[in-house]
Amino acid sequence: MKLFEYQAKDIFRGAGIPVPRSEMARSVEDTVNAAEKTGFPCVLKSQVLQGGRGKAGLIQIVKNPEEVEKAASNLFARDVKLLLVEEAVSIKKELYLSVTVDPVRAKALIIASAEGGVEIEELAVNAPEKIFREEVDITAGLQSFQATDLAYRLSCDPIEAKQLIGILRRLYSVFAKYDAELVEINPLFITREGQLIAGDGKLIIDENSMNRQEGFERTREYYDSDMEFEAAKEGIPYLQFDGDISLMCAGAGLTTTVYDLINYEGGSVANYLEFGGPNYRKAVRAMELCLQNDSKVILVVTFGTIARADVMAEGIVDAIERLKPDRPIVVCIRGTNEEEAVKTLRNAGLEPLFDTEEAVRKAVQLCK
Amino acid sequence: MSIFITSDTKVLVQGITGKEGSFWTGHMINLGTNVVCGVTPGKEGQQIEGRRVFNSVRRAVSEFDADASMIFVPPRFTKDAVFEALDSGIKKIVTIADGIPLHEMVQIRAAALSCGAMVIGGNTSGCISPEVAMMGMFPYWIERVYRKGSIGVMTRSGSLTNEVTAMVVRAGFGVSSLIGIGGDPVPGTRFAEMLPLYQNDSETEALVIIGELGGTMEEEVAEAMQQGIFTKPVVAFLGGRTAPKGKRMGHAGAIVTGGKGTVEGKIKALQQSGGVVADRPSKVGELLKEMLDNK
Repeated sequence: MKLFEYQAKDIFRGAGIPVPRSEMARSVEDTVNAAEKTGFPCVLKSQVLQGGRGKAGLIQIVKNPEEVEKAASNLFARDVKLLLVEEAVSIKKELYLSVTVDPVRAKALIIASAEGGVEIEELAVNAPEKIFREEVDITAGLQSFQATDLAYRLSCDPIEAKQLIGILRRLYSVFAKYDAELVEINPLFITREGQLIAGDGKLIIDENSMNRQEGFERTREYYDSDMEFEAAKEGIPYLQFDGDISLMCAGAGLTTTVYDLINYEGGSVANYLEFGGPNYRKAVRAMELCLQNDSKVILVVTFGTIARADVMAEGIVDAIERLKPDRPIVVCIRGTNEEEAVKTLRNAGLEPLFDTEEAVRKAVQLCK
Repeated sequence: MSIFITSDTKVLVQGITGKEGSFWTGHMINLGTNVVCGVTPGKEGQQIEGRRVFNSVRRAVSEFDADASMIFVPPRFTKDAVFEALDSGIKKIVTIADGIPLHEMVQIRAAALSCGAMVIGGNTSGCISPEVAMMGMFPYWIERVYRKGSIGVMTRSGSLTNEVTAMVVRAGFGVSSLIGIGGDPVPGTRFAEMLPLYQNDSETEALVIIGELGGTMEEEVAEAMQQGIFTKPVVAFLGGRTAPKGKRMGHAGAIVTGGKGTVEGKIKALQQSGGVVADRPSKVGELLKEMLDNK
């Protein structure tokens, strides 16, 4: 679960990592009041989950109340729901810090650079020697000597290095406490006064650890569309696109492949949906989601083993009876108890296919 | 000889009394797997499929030698179960659980590496050598997929395994050993670490790799091929070629970030190392034929 910047910064603040003074605003009026509190100049930061906010114009520096009003109106008009209004700090230098997991070495990995900012990915390609990596044994945790050594690689100024040591230890503790996939400060400012302060905050919590992390409710704001939110509440993996074919497939790998095949055949996808695995009894709900799209065809492709073909077929037939879909359905259901599945589908007037690529071609054709 | 598991491998089943544990233990035995005993705390004295159940792995191995452990416990208990098996000196472990916390999976892999053990999974169906033995959950009775033969299969995806392996069989081949390394971002064992096993297996003539976008496992395979660690023909199929960047499609391990882990990058790496890449599942069989005929 990817958190918003303000949530990450709340957590940083709680852990003792310095962050700029800030206020939250949900309207233009709020924003003007918030800016009076933080003082000028200040930064209006749109609380959206997409990356590249700066380049997209979703972060604005403002110098007076008139500018606040203009910038805030503009941002709220762009479907931004929440602004973080932050004091603008005087910047001497920008650093990069993050903690993630190294799946090959089976360690936690601190990545740091004295040259932070938005171009860190380019730096990784063009000047990898400027990026420092420190592996941490995830059972033992970050050792003091590691933090000290890394801090002095980033800065030879003892006052800065001392602050860095504190931030590194606290950032690592956030990583451990919140089961993070990634925790990142980019940029980490050094101000003209010599203070280190987190300019941005990113925290992604591992999905598999969400049931032991408390206080994170998945609300509509975390999703790009109403449909994705609705599907998420049911535990159905779902992505919204704007093409012609609704996918109702089983398993991540197969669904992704069907998505590819449709593109190869010149078709387009309306939605990605997995109803396999633990969801294979949710055919009715899954088809309901598909029918809410403007798709022309629903394409069902499964090759189930644990999730049985006959159960899937029954689910599909049941869904058709209940929902009376207004568009054709192409079915390709195979796997355990396939013979039963074929009977069930034929009895319901469907013509089952047995080859994924054939099913994809048929669905694409039906859209023409 | 098959790899990882043979009909001689003595398999202990952790979580043997559970619904899945007992059901698949029956099928493992039915296929020919040498299941010696099982473990479920508090259930000692019971029998499942004629196998004795013990309260702990330590108690089980005091009476039965075990070379391998098949773990059927829920994700939140998996780390403890793996550590318990490692503690008793078991070096081959398969864990199927889907949903193991990321930081625990890192600990599991770190522990396995330090013990010189191999943990396969989580989020996998396991491994199978058709007509010989399996650790996991495979409907080996579906002939269209699980026919014995000379093609090794390594996969990150359960659902694609059937799709692609069916094409291998349709082209007239069969499977020597199939290993599902699982769809999580941190698998216990990585593709490249399996290669020496397939290289040394006289029954495996060629290898099919079923990968997907995200991570660096396919690139590591390419590297091993360049270093001569693996010299048999390789045909890969990779899902997610047209996936939109930044969207989390499919497995959690399959997110594309910062230009790394793209399918194009993986294809290039594999091709430069002498592998061939099928753009759709149906091509896998044809490409296998071509490669084996030209050998």
